[in-house]
Amino acid sequence: MTGAQQIVAGLEAARVSIAASVPDTWIGRLMETVRRSPHIRAVDVAREEEAVAVACGANLAGGRGAVLIQNAGLLNCGGVLAGLVELYRIPCFFIVSLRGDHRDPVYYHAPKGRVTEETLRAWRLPYAHADRRSDLVAQVKRGAEFCVESRGPFVLLISGEDLA
Amino acid sequence: MTARKPLLDALVSMLTQRDLLVSCLGANARYLPYMTVPCPVFALCDSMGAAVPLALGMALQRPDRHVVVLEGDGSLLMSPNVLATVAAAGPPNLTILLWVNGRYESSGGQALPAVAVDWGALARAAGIRHVAAARDVPGLDEAFARARSAGTPSVIVVEVAFDPAEPIPPYSERPDEIRARFRP
Repeated sequence: MTGAQQIVAGLEAARVSIAASVPDTWIGRLMETVRRSPHIRAVDVAREEEAVAVACGANLAGGRGAVLIQNAGLLNCGGVLAGLVELYRIPCFFIVSLRGDHRDPVYYHAPKGRVTEETLRAWRLPYAHADRRSDLVAQVKRGAEFCVESRGPFVLLISGEDLA
Repeated sequence: MTARKPLLDALVSMLTQRDLLVSCLGANARYLPYMTVPCPVFALCDSMGAAVPLALGMALQRPDRHVVVLEGDGSLLMSPNVLATVAAAGPPNLTILLWVNGRYESSGGQALPAVAVDWGALARAAGIRHVAAARDVPGLDEAFARARSAGTPSVIVVEVAFDPAEPIPPYSERPDEIRARFRP
């Protein structure tokens, strides 16, 4: 399986029913695979804060929502994370493309890459880097299930290499 | 224009056990705990702009339920993009009631940016095919009944009077209580 297929298999294994997304190059490629899943409804939203709320709504209604966005979009989400996810203790699983780290060849992503992990720590968001060398299906499933068990967020950071 | 409470009373009287009700922060969210609502209610006390996408997620997850969301004009002005998102997703079981009073009521009644937004036109331009307006209780009764059976996501623009002396009750439920009671 490709990395993208493994990530989607992990979402399916975690019984994710709705994947709300704003694409970038990497997330767009991942969403192409999501759309082929018979178990996950892909929801295209206009801003990343909407994706968070859509996923929370799915969770509150008995399903499991996930948010697939770029780190620039995650940086938009401080308010809704504090005022919805944290305040109401709603499970919310994020898959976030980490643009601007040492693996990303595009120079203009670098400022986002420099602040992403520090922002995650400042916002007290539990997170992990996807590791393509080990079981990606299990990493995704574990992250989504952590959200359910902790009634809160979890962020899995991915790179373009993880999708191959 | 009609005062808020009679309109909210009229809306609640039309809800059934099969509905889900979501409210943005503000006066409606503060009134609802004091009212007898026949369906599960999820009321926000923060996070402007989250109510409509939250309701969208519920509507997509539960096509067997009709989801009614109360949004404010200040909140929607902050995130009008969500109208396009709703139109694209197209759930037939979602009705958005946009309460328009030109004020940020929950933060002291400050005026919105001084421009007369055509909310119905905005919704239509974003792709919402069923748009209606209501200025009084009979108008709301009719518009809501039609929205329910429209077979497409709907927006009802509810013009409501702003009264700075309105005795709006304080928030009376904690978020964890709201979360625990919401069992669709």
